[in-house]
Amino acid sequence: MYSYIIRRLAFGALTVIGVSIIVFLVLRVLPGDPLVALFGPEGFTKLSEAERARYMADLGLSDPLAVQYLRWVGDIARGNFGRSFFRAESVGEMILRRGPLTAEIAMLSVILSWLVGIPVAIVSALRPNSLGDNVSRFLSILFLAVPGFWLGMLIVLAALFLFGYRAPLTGPSLLADPWSNLQVVIGPAVVLGLGQAAYIARMARSSLLEVIREDYVRTARAKGLSRRPVITFHALPNALLPVITLSGILLGFVLAGSIPVERAFGTPGLGYAMFTAVSERDVFVMQNLVFLYAVVFVLLNILVDLTIAWLDPRIRYR
Amino acid sequence: MTVTEPEAAYPVETAAPAIERSRQWSVTGGMRSFIRRSPLSAFWGCIAAAVILMALAAPVLAPYEPLKSDFRAMSKPPNERHYFGTDQIGRDVLSRVIHGSRASLAVAFGAVLFGTTLGALWGLASGYFGGRFDILSQRVIEFLQSFPDLILAMAIAMALGAGFGTVIVAIAITRIPFGGRVIRAVVLSLKELSYVEAARGLGASHLRIMARHILPQCVAPYLILATTHLGVAIIIEAALGFLGVGIPPPTPTWGNMLADSLNAGLVPPWWLVLFPGAAITVTVLAFNLLGDGIRDMLDPRLRSAV
Repeated sequence: MYSYIIRRLAFGALTVIGVSIIVFLVLRVLPGDPLVALFGPEGFTKLSEAERARYMADLGLSDPLAVQYLRWVGDIARGNFGRSFFRAESVGEMILRRGPLTAEIAMLSVILSWLVGIPVAIVSALRPNSLGDNVSRFLSILFLAVPGFWLGMLIVLAALFLFGYRAPLTGPSLLADPWSNLQVVIGPAVVLGLGQAAYIARMARSSLLEVIREDYVRTARAKGLSRRPVITFHALPNALLPVITLSGILLGFVLAGSIPVERAFGTPGLGYAMFTAVSERDVFVMQNLVFLYAVVFVLLNILVDLTIAWLDPRIRYR
Repeated sequence: MTVTEPEAAYPVETAAPAIERSRQWSVTGGMRSFIRRSPLSAFWGCIAAAVILMALAAPVLAPYEPLKSDFRAMSKPPNERHYFGTDQIGRDVLSRVIHGSRASLAVAFGAVLFGTTLGALWGLASGYFGGRFDILSQRVIEFLQSFPDLILAMAIAMALGAGFGTVIVAIAITRIPFGGRVIRAVVLSLKELSYVEAARGLGASHLRIMARHILPQCVAPYLILATTHLGVAIIIEAALGFLGVGIPPPTPTWGNMLADSLNAGLVPPWWLVLFPGAAITVTVLAFNLLGDGIRDMLDPRLRSAV
């Protein structure tokens, strides 16, 4: 197990380095002139030569690319996420202030997706091609096609029209004011949770159908065990392994999906900050946030792999 | 949600040729058997075709100009003159939804045509040649897959500046790793087969083996992947438009319309929200179900499992 953990971590470190190079290439090198990215093509032409040179020197953009890359990586390693070009708050402070809200949304949505997805999958898999199975399969296919942010906008509208309700605009922390925190978090969590539940239900259904046909399940039935314990104690634990993997991957995608969803709800989380950075063309903030999201994504994948290895000895000893 | 199917859902092991070779392939016969086998997919395939037709014939179908403002009818709810209502500067929502299909489909097809295809060819080459090229390719693909696809697309679209071409490029790049991995896995299992070995023994060049013996076997997984990716690409395009890094306004796209609706005041009018989103959902649903049907037809072994 230890050698597996070490191998997986070393691999993760390599991936993080690769990711940092891609982020740097995309957000520093690809725009050509970073000032064009900051000011937009029209704004750029209005700058005089002297202004351009001053901005370039101020932002450390006149150094060779390799130096810029190393400086950026060094800054991040020291925990310095830089500063927005447009506002006073440093990116690090912003992440600490807004990050918990998004993390909360993500965790809550994962819990919701399991609460909805797994029971639906069990009902479906136990009676394949029944009415309930067909309805739940159609719903899961439907939810794969519904854009989360649109569903979010509809929910906001419906809550307003039907109940005259609007969620609070500020997001106090869970500890300070749990009730209004929940009001802010619940909407995005439900939308993102339903989206994941569709995948979870699909995956769990097909995985359960496969496991149910295995010999050991038939043996358990043959020795006289009733249906319910066979499903809960023999079939389900094995059927859930691929679902755990999927859920971990989905959690990474939820972090991305929360960007438009937070915009739809007006949630003051990290996703909304990402939206702000994009609409302000703030490449520096973007660079750090994109890197942060990618690193979290990589870490989640490592965590999932280790969990699976811990649960499933076949992987550990390979 | 902008998540692609987990890879297990694709037919990875194609040891036996998935398509029956004995029967002469004909378009009408194929269509007929497709309809017989999965009528639901055929129905949604027709919807997908209808959306494509709508995009092609948008100027004829749309009752009004999508960009023309009618200042006497601003923010009007659906009525007999404007079936889907008008937006805050008096543009007809129905016409804009119809024209929006053009941007969505053009971007989706463009992204899949470039991205999935490029990825597939890359996977073909890396799987076939193996060795250092393969190892390097695998690492690059892994790095690309370390980003949730929406975030990568956002970053690239922002870096390149908003525009029609850049949105296609941004989404295409996120499609490359999937094409690469799936096709590589297929090729890895194919190249060990004896008929490939026989061709090599007869002195066929690498290019000829890839083109004549391996490529045809990759068509089925490619088609399945490409149809699924169409749906994913449409959702990413809409999300980019919604976040303001898509095709720049005033071009009507479904994502732009949803973003616009948030600017219509403190509370967006419901008709500005409902119709563009419904258009996205129906279109994506159609392509996803068509993809499921194509998978069932091309790879019958998956039919029983899923």
